[in-house]
Amino acid sequence: MKKIFLIFMIVFTAQVSLAQVKNVKGVITDSDGMPLPGASVAVQGGQKGATTDFDGLYSIDVQKGQTLVFTYVGLETQNIVVGDAATINVKMQVAASNALNEVVVTSLGIKKTRKSLTYAAQELKGEELTRVRDANLVNTIAGKIAGVAVTKSSSGTGGSTKVVIRGNSSVSNNQPLYVIDGIPLYNGSSGQPNDSFGSTSTGNRDGGDVVSLINPDDYEGMTVLKGAAASVLYGSQGANGVILLSSKKAKAGKPLLTVSSVTTFESAAYLPKFQSDYVAAPGADESWGAAGKSKDHVKDFFQVGNTQITSVGYSTSSENSSTAFTYSNTSGTGIMPGNSIKKNNFGIRQTAKFFDDKLLFAANANYTSQTIINKPVNGFYFNPLTGVYLMPRGNDFDYYKNNYEVFDPNRNLMAQNWMTNRDIMQNPYWGINRNKSEDKNNFFNGALSLTYKANNWLSIAGRYSYNRVESDFDKKIYATTQGTISHINGRYYVENALSTQRYADLIATINTKFSDDFSFNANIGTSVTNTLGNQKTILDSGIGGGLKYANWFTLQNFNNNSGNYQTIDTRKEVQSVFAATTFGYKDMLFLDVAARNDWSSTLANTDSAGYFYPSVGLTALLSEMVTLPEFINFGKVRATYAEVGNDVYPFVTVPTYYYTPGVTDPKPKVAPKEGTSLKPELKSEYELGTEWRMFNNRFAFELSYYNSETKNQYLQVVAPKGNSQGVDFYGINAGSIENKGFEAVVTAGIFRGDKFSWDSSVNFSQNKNKVKEIPTELGGRVNLTEAGVNSYRYALIEGRPFGVIEGINFKKDAQGRILLNDDGTIQKTGFEEVGNSNPDYMIGFSNSFKIGSFFANVLIDGRFGGNVMSLTQAQNDSFGVSRATGDARNAGGVAINAVRASDGTPVTSMDAQLYYTQVGGRAGITGEYVYDATNVSVREISIGYNFNAKRLPFIQTASVSLIARNLFFIYKDAPFDPNIALSTGEGLQGVDIYGQPSTRSIGLNLNVTF
Amino acid sequence: MKLNKITKAALCMSLLAAMGCTGDFEDINTNPNGITPELFEQDFNHIKGGFAPMFNNIQVLTPEWVYQLQQGLNCDIWSGYMATPTGFAGGINNTTYSLVDGWNGFIWDYAYSNVMFNAYDIAQKSKGKYDQFYALSLILKVEGMHRLTDTFGPIIYSKFGTTDSTIEYDSQQEVYNQMFSELDFAVAELTKREDAGEASTFATTDMSGYGGSYKAWAKFANTLRLRLAMRIVKVNPALAKTQAEKAIAHKYGVFTTNADLFKVVSPVYTNPIATISGAWLDIRMSADMESIMGGYNDPRLATYFDTSTQFPGQYKGVRTGIDIAAKSDHQDFSGIGAVVRSKEIVLFTTAEAYFLRAEGALRGWNMGGDAKSLYEAGIAASFEQRGASGAAAYIADNVKTAKAYVDPNFPVNNSPALNNVTIAWDAAATNEVKLQKIITQKWIAGFPEGQEAWSDYRRTGYPKLFPVLKNYSGTTITTEFGVRRINFVQSEKAGNAGGVATGVAKLGGPDNGGTRLWWDTTGANF
Repeated sequence: MKKIFLIFMIVFTAQVSLAQVKNVKGVITDSDGMPLPGASVAVQGGQKGATTDFDGLYSIDVQKGQTLVFTYVGLETQNIVVGDAATINVKMQVAASNALNEVVVTSLGIKKTRKSLTYAAQELKGEELTRVRDANLVNTIAGKIAGVAVTKSSSGTGGSTKVVIRGNSSVSNNQPLYVIDGIPLYNGSSGQPNDSFGSTSTGNRDGGDVVSLINPDDYEGMTVLKGAAASVLYGSQGANGVILLSSKKAKAGKPLLTVSSVTTFESAAYLPKFQSDYVAAPGADESWGAAGKSKDHVKDFFQVGNTQITSVGYSTSSENSSTAFTYSNTSGTGIMPGNSIKKNNFGIRQTAKFFDDKLLFAANANYTSQTIINKPVNGFYFNPLTGVYLMPRGNDFDYYKNNYEVFDPNRNLMAQNWMTNRDIMQNPYWGINRNKSEDKNNFFNGALSLTYKANNWLSIAGRYSYNRVESDFDKKIYATTQGTISHINGRYYVENALSTQRYADLIATINTKFSDDFSFNANIGTSVTNTLGNQKTILDSGIGGGLKYANWFTLQNFNNNSGNYQTIDTRKEVQSVFAATTFGYKDMLFLDVAARNDWSSTLANTDSAGYFYPSVGLTALLSEMVTLPEFINFGKVRATYAEVGNDVYPFVTVPTYYYTPGVTDPKPKVAPKEGTSLKPELKSEYELGTEWRMFNNRFAFELSYYNSETKNQYLQVVAPKGNSQGVDFYGINAGSIENKGFEAVVTAGIFRGDKFSWDSSVNFSQNKNKVKEIPTELGGRVNLTEAGVNSYRYALIEGRPFGVIEGINFKKDAQGRILLNDDGTIQKTGFEEVGNSNPDYMIGFSNSFKIGSFFANVLIDGRFGGNVMSLTQAQNDSFGVSRATGDARNAGGVAINAVRASDGTPVTSMDAQLYYTQVGGRAGITGEYVYDATNVSVREISIGYNFNAKRLPFIQTASVSLIARNLFFIYKDAPFDPNIALSTGEGLQGVDIYGQPSTRSIGLNLNVTF
Repeated sequence: MKLNKITKAALCMSLLAAMGCTGDFEDINTNPNGITPELFEQDFNHIKGGFAPMFNNIQVLTPEWVYQLQQGLNCDIWSGYMATPTGFAGGINNTTYSLVDGWNGFIWDYAYSNVMFNAYDIAQKSKGKYDQFYALSLILKVEGMHRLTDTFGPIIYSKFGTTDSTIEYDSQQEVYNQMFSELDFAVAELTKREDAGEASTFATTDMSGYGGSYKAWAKFANTLRLRLAMRIVKVNPALAKTQAEKAIAHKYGVFTTNADLFKVVSPVYTNPIATISGAWLDIRMSADMESIMGGYNDPRLATYFDTSTQFPGQYKGVRTGIDIAAKSDHQDFSGIGAVVRSKEIVLFTTAEAYFLRAEGALRGWNMGGDAKSLYEAGIAASFEQRGASGAAAYIADNVKTAKAYVDPNFPVNNSPALNNVTIAWDAAATNEVKLQKIITQKWIAGFPEGQEAWSDYRRTGYPKLFPVLKNYSGTTITTEFGVRRINFVQSEKAGNAGGVATGVAKLGGPDNGGTRLWWDTTGANF
């Protein structure tokens, strides 16, 4: 009876005029707890309706007993009967039939429905960032996003990573902008090597970057905005693309405690190959002596490294406030003895709501401190690997390991013990123990934001953030370190770098409808960014100056002040106003118009410190406009055009004299040429794309084509010696680089069953790059890495793709025969192009499987085309330690197709030593050491098990998995891993010079949520 | 309506905010570690600042490896002073006549960016206004740049500082003529000021040890003129005589005491050879030095070289151009001695002035003395400079000659002595023998500054040096005559290819190490 009455009541409530009207509020989220803006709420059978705002909040007047219908395109519609509760929060699940309409976070943290985007944006969920965890978050995106090339530095755990989106477009900087919750992150490096020999003060060290310091656990997802259109709102900083990170927010409901632990073991993979059949002549540095067996000591030098990452997180949320806290500890040891890392991350995020939820306050603070001992360097100096690889064979490596120092009675100190005094190859264990270095990085990121909802169509938000990075480097070089890199009493090198960024913005968001058919969104704002980059104090007792007392490492023990100085890389302020608008018509046609004006302090004293740039884009949802075959769920075409301006180097337009004692005389380094002015760079890009989903969304693809050109690049040309301004360089605007490319993302649910499912996706990208113009003053080229005394040079050359590798080749006659001099030596060419460092195309192929409670993920990553050079192999050859030289000696010489230049006598064989000492070596015929960079690797594998939480007390979810990274190469030509670079700056690409070998890591990942 | 208003308000607010603050931009964009030009003009630092890099880079003082490439692995070796035990680049390098562009570019680049640039810069700021600085800068420029033309031949000189896209080279003859006239200006200007009793404004800037004295600098300019005059004696004997006699005839004359000699006194840096020899073991005594100074049992040996650690008590030199299997074969031979463990780098000795005058006298010029007495005064000055005793006995020695060279472990490198002259002056000897004695003693006295010794060797053929055993020049450089010059450099070929073409045209031969310079004629010494 009661039931019948109830049914009666429900059915006829609408007619009961006396029924009470009440206000119901709530938040609508997706299955991950992300708020859904623009979701509709309607009273079933009634006229009333509402839509959620950008935080997923809605408010509607309804009578008890009526049914609210929650709808959102692509998600399962829900009906909820209104009871007594005044708050109804709805979590909407992905509709089985439509997985399309997720919300993506775009520029400035603005959420947009994916369908309305006029440009390419690709997302990664949080689990992609942590599934096969790397201490550096960025390394986990390799192969997962079309058009994004990720290259690790060779400096091991804690090292920086180079990310290039849609090809290199700038002479000076190609790294994307990282943005956390809408606020740009300062991601400078305190230093990157660009010397093919290696710095005599520190070796070729990687100063690290900032993004490697953040905690992957703090983020629930990533969106990559690839093109200029997507990034117009970040201005010049976003010209190379933007990587947006969204921090995890406390979810409504009960408190969560998450614990995860990852242990991985790293081993050296892809070592060079060595000979063991010949030893060095007595006293010789090079192993060109008699036949004699030696043991391969190189493998034993490397150890199994391990990385242990433990994270704890806690979050709780009430109606008016939320708190989330995370802590993560990373500790590890490298594959080289003596290398270790310790890192601690703290993060806290607090939100609160006031005045009827009209005012929203959020604050977060993150602090990271990291210490790395003996971060691996590359190049020839301070690099233990040179000693390990090149040690004259026939010596007992273990003896020198156990006795790297011996007592020197003449000096009454412990002195380095090694068989040679060669600058490029010290005793490796001396280097590890007595040239020890310590890198410390401390990073603080604090942000505050206030959002005020003035009414249902306008909200105003103000944000402020402060980034502070301290990078300290300390190297103690003991007496009896080789004389090219140390004073007789030792050397002390200290570098303290400080970088800060202050960012503030004020943005008004308007979200309204002109009529039922026309919607309008706009963001109008202003921002100011103050950047201080690498304010450094460097103390260096030097080689000539030195320490007064041996091995006393402090400033007051310096013999003189000539190595100490202060520098600053960047100081600037950029002020901006911007506006972005989206006009929508019937949810099927969207027009984006955005514009920005920047004023940069680096353009002081030029014609105008300000510069303006616009973007426009159009999207049409074909599937809403015309009737398509039934199997097509969604179809869209889009087009966009955008420009992005970029300012010039700091300090150029206000030349001052600069002085480093003993190195340079006081004179200005660079200035615009008298009578000329500087202007900003300008990147323009158009992009066309289309996106389709079909077969119940089981199959989807997105295609994009882009064409960009960056003009008026800021370049420094060598000023004529003795110009009236006394500068070394003129700063000019010239040069143009073009990138054209194509990207495809294909996803497919290959098999979906209750017990078994298989999902797959393929990312394909191809980029064609051309340096269109470099001024004649520069000879049509810019050397990004100078050759110095080595046969490797890296340059931009007009008419060629970005990043030409140059080296020396054999001089050959018309028949392709190598030309020899009468004394049997080989004739060489000058510097010639021998390769290009950039891939032609890249493919990422990822698969995820579920079999009951088991799951597995496999990522295969391929880069095709491009070249790399190995000076490591060249040098190993010239020292007679490589396997090639052993094989050649066993074969009685090297077979060559050569001819004596003077009389045409053919020569078919050459003595191995004569051949390899000329062809090998860092200054040899390096064209012979160029390899195809094409490689296909099994980048990530994880195999795991989800525990049934219902059977476990207190536990909500729990999983354990076996993970592997860089497991093996399916195909590779080079003798090392070509995905590793010596620098994450612009120079030293496409070459290996005693970089730490790539590592293979295998480990265990444990996640528990309470 | 409402929307428009708000949009407008927001835009205006932002614009105001933005425009209102750009006034700080110039301050923000000023490097806090730089010196502003206004600040730098105080104390004439904008002019004086250019002198230190000139002093410090005639021979590069720092870093050591640059010295090694700028001078240590070329003229220091080709002069017969030193040799390297290290088989750089597989032993195929400058020492075996395969000229290494990657090394030799430093000679040119450091000269232009430091010596030539600052000379030009000082001229721009001081010429006609503060002519004392201009005059001093000219003397340093000639001292620095004659070395460059003596190395390459045609160089950029008169056209330096033009903004043309192609900068033309001057022929070596043109460079020498301009250097003579620059010395004319410098000597006249400084003499005028000295005579007027003007106090020097150069004292604190002067790194030469002259304390800014205009008179001392004028005397140095005269002596430099004498050096340049003698250089061209074979190609233009008349001009050589005129210029040499002009130097002697000037009221301040040329160097006569060791207080006059020209040196760079670095407050900071020790002669880079000390590190290259002592710490790196990359440079050793040469076989030629062992043969000649050892044969003479020269008392200056002890300051020039250390005894070998491998053969205690002995001075052992290394022969240049040999087959090097291992650095350790020769690295423990004699290193360079106390003479380089000093912050004073002597670039022009008083002894050299005497030997130049002795040669002039031999040629019948008016040098204010006869050849014999000037020759002997040169030896005596050198002994005094090096703190060696026994000059009188040494000068009178008419017995000792150079000795044979023996490489203890590698007899393939052995050679009988090539020089047979004794020390004592022999009035009855031919001019050729007398010249050999003068140049041999000049060679000994000039150590370790290899640039001048290499030039003398090319001009006169003395002292005779052991030929290389390995010649990887591919027939461009003969083993008999050695390296005559260095080919033009990579930076110029890349940045001023048109200019290099003018240089090659004026060189009068192929751009390689075997082509003789303008003053290096094949004619006889007399």
